[in-house]
Amino acid sequence: MKRREMLRASVLAGAVAALRPSLAAAQSTAQQPSELTPAQSGVDASKEFEGPGWKPLFLDEHQNETLIVLSDLMIPATDTPGAKEAFVNRYIDLVLAAETRETQQAFLNSLGYLDGESIRRFKAAFLYLSREDQDLLLHALAYPRSGDGWAGNTGAVADPGHAHFEALKDRIMTAYYSSQIGEKELGWDGAFAHGPYQGCEHPEGEHK
Amino acid sequence: MIGTIKVAGMAQDPLQTTYDVVVVGSGATGGWAAKQCAEAGLKVALLEAGRAVTPKEFTEHMPAYKLKYRDHSPEIVRTRPVQKQCYACMEYNYEWFVNDLENPYSTPPGKPFTWQRLRILGGRSLVWGRQSYRMSDNDFKAASRDGYGDDWPISYADLSPYYDIVEKYVGITGALEGNEMLPDGQFLPPMKMSCGEVLLRERVKAKFGHTVTIGRAAVLTQNHNGRLQCHYCGPCERGCSTFSYFSSPFTTVKDAIASGNCTLFTNAVVSHVDMGTEPNKARGVTYVDRLTRQVKEVRGKAVILCAQALESTRILLNSSTREYPNGLANSSGALGHYLMDHVVGGGASGRLPNFNPLPNANEPARPNGIYVPRFRNTPSSKTQSKFIRGYGYQGGAGPEFNFSAEGYGASLKKAVKEGWYEIGLGAFGESLARWDNHIEIDKDLKDAWGIPALHINMTHGDNEAALMQDAGATGAEMLEAAGAKDIRVHANVEMPGMAIHELGTARMGNDPKKSVLNAFNQAHDVNNLFVMDGASFVSSACQNPTLTMMAVTVRACDHLKDRFRKNEI
Repeated sequence: MKRREMLRASVLAGAVAALRPSLAAAQSTAQQPSELTPAQSGVDASKEFEGPGWKPLFLDEHQNETLIVLSDLMIPATDTPGAKEAFVNRYIDLVLAAETRETQQAFLNSLGYLDGESIRRFKAAFLYLSREDQDLLLHALAYPRSGDGWAGNTGAVADPGHAHFEALKDRIMTAYYSSQIGEKELGWDGAFAHGPYQGCEHPEGEHK
Repeated sequence: MIGTIKVAGMAQDPLQTTYDVVVVGSGATGGWAAKQCAEAGLKVALLEAGRAVTPKEFTEHMPAYKLKYRDHSPEIVRTRPVQKQCYACMEYNYEWFVNDLENPYSTPPGKPFTWQRLRILGGRSLVWGRQSYRMSDNDFKAASRDGYGDDWPISYADLSPYYDIVEKYVGITGALEGNEMLPDGQFLPPMKMSCGEVLLRERVKAKFGHTVTIGRAAVLTQNHNGRLQCHYCGPCERGCSTFSYFSSPFTTVKDAIASGNCTLFTNAVVSHVDMGTEPNKARGVTYVDRLTRQVKEVRGKAVILCAQALESTRILLNSSTREYPNGLANSSGALGHYLMDHVVGGGASGRLPNFNPLPNANEPARPNGIYVPRFRNTPSSKTQSKFIRGYGYQGGAGPEFNFSAEGYGASLKKAVKEGWYEIGLGAFGESLARWDNHIEIDKDLKDAWGIPALHINMTHGDNEAALMQDAGATGAEMLEAAGAKDIRVHANVEMPGMAIHELGTARMGNDPKKSVLNAFNQAHDVNNLFVMDGASFVSSACQNPTLTMMAVTVRACDHLKDRFRKNEI
């Protein structure tokens, strides 16, 4: 193989070259960064979004408000707190702010699809619909269309609405179940160890 | 105090000393080499490319919600695009993994290889999967049985006493099975199986005659050698405040330093082995200080490379001399060749419908799974027509939260908690030693310390693909026998490197024309140079290799100590 081809395939070769000056700079100060992750340094970031002065880093006000309403429908407060109480929108905003442009755009496309459908069907953005209409719209998107019923097709149907729904739901689920409220929702008692693993104690043929 | 690492005080300048032994790398094998040599009275310099590690930075008890990005940190994406392909590289601990921007390597177009590694005291022993399996003569002498490749120059009888030594010290939990492919060892009490796993064991034995056993793991099920038994918190790869899984900094390296005969050099990025004036004799190694970039030399009467398979060979390839223009100790031309990494991507998963699906967030987290030893092409099974060698399965069964529940709203919340009972098997297949799977120096690429980087050229072949096909179909049959439904069959061949079991590139052998090392990991060409890590493997078998790597190291150290006693080094 030619050297040129090898270089083209090289993992991060260019990035290393680009790094050189900054390494030299780090050296001149003779003091390296800590080389611990924030977690290894004991940083607890769990309260970061909870302050009253929170402002979104990435989402605009309309997008943020839409996300709050959507997340509250997706994972409502029941006998336990829901996505809104868990500040799901704030976590999603933080992660999105650090994502690539493509990933950011994909999220906005999904959120935009929701508004597009809402305007097409109800002549208003999702945020301003009645609770009933929001529910009607989400219900139409929530379940995958099988090929036989909807359009008379027999094969698989491209279902962008459901794909956008799933993309938004995935973000909201991840944010909710990784929050402290979400861990409690799953029943975690907050202890990190629960004694030795007991395993199966049933006699043969009676496992369940 | 078990977690304290004291650097031995030296009366004279450590760099002016000529050590008996210079050990490069402080992971699973380097720790053993340092311990065995230092405790025998040899003066050891132990060089580690990364920094020291302390128990203060363990995060195994920190919940994910305390992480700013809850494991979606952009810092990992930016600085560890390769390392993040490893399940153990997380927002908790990514600083333990190498920064990919500082540690590049190249691959040919269309032949990706993922190289996941740590540069810190203890290396990958800090985050390893801990699965610990002996190899048998079905592996060491596989070439004699099926005609492919080469036998190892050692047999199970040679290594068995060293497996004993390592297992007794490390503490391996496991169950005795008397399996012809998977020799039993010196085990601590086995961990328990879940109901689904016991059922699978019963049904697979009844229907196929194959063994399903609890995983054999370097995790303590009782207090052992001054370390506490496991408290079942789960995420070992973030460190362990009770030192219940085996990692070298708090065991072998600590012992080596406690002997008073071992000097630890951290941040010592070794670039090459130095040759002395005597022909075929190494004088020591040169390293670049990771922080100051100063170049320094450490002298030793013997040099042991335990830097990780690819790194040890990289050092040799970067140590060319007039006598060895293609890499030190490479008169055979075999250096860099026969790279292996277990093939993964085959298996099956499903659900056990009649089992209690309710997951419990407060259940003890067992840091171990189940294991199905190789059952293909064994002495007591018929020879397969589509492939040689075989694979073993790792897996498990238990209730899981249903995060893929349909719909939304209160019903979704409820469905998530109702869960399902999951069962799965994933194969690790033998990677055949092939000449064309090789590493070389990329003359146009250097790491952040100016050391020439590797060009890694590896693909899995037809045999590996056939293994994964069989592993998918057979795994599905096994799960079916246990009554599983919704069975998903996986028959993929994942990119090389994904098993993180890199082996070969400086193989052992009896013939100096075809191998780099002799049966005691000593370079054929350079009397006082040893490679005591996975680079020395002749074949990969399908068992997780670290236990065998450690046993090979201890055996080689016995030989080295004997050479010292006889003044032959």
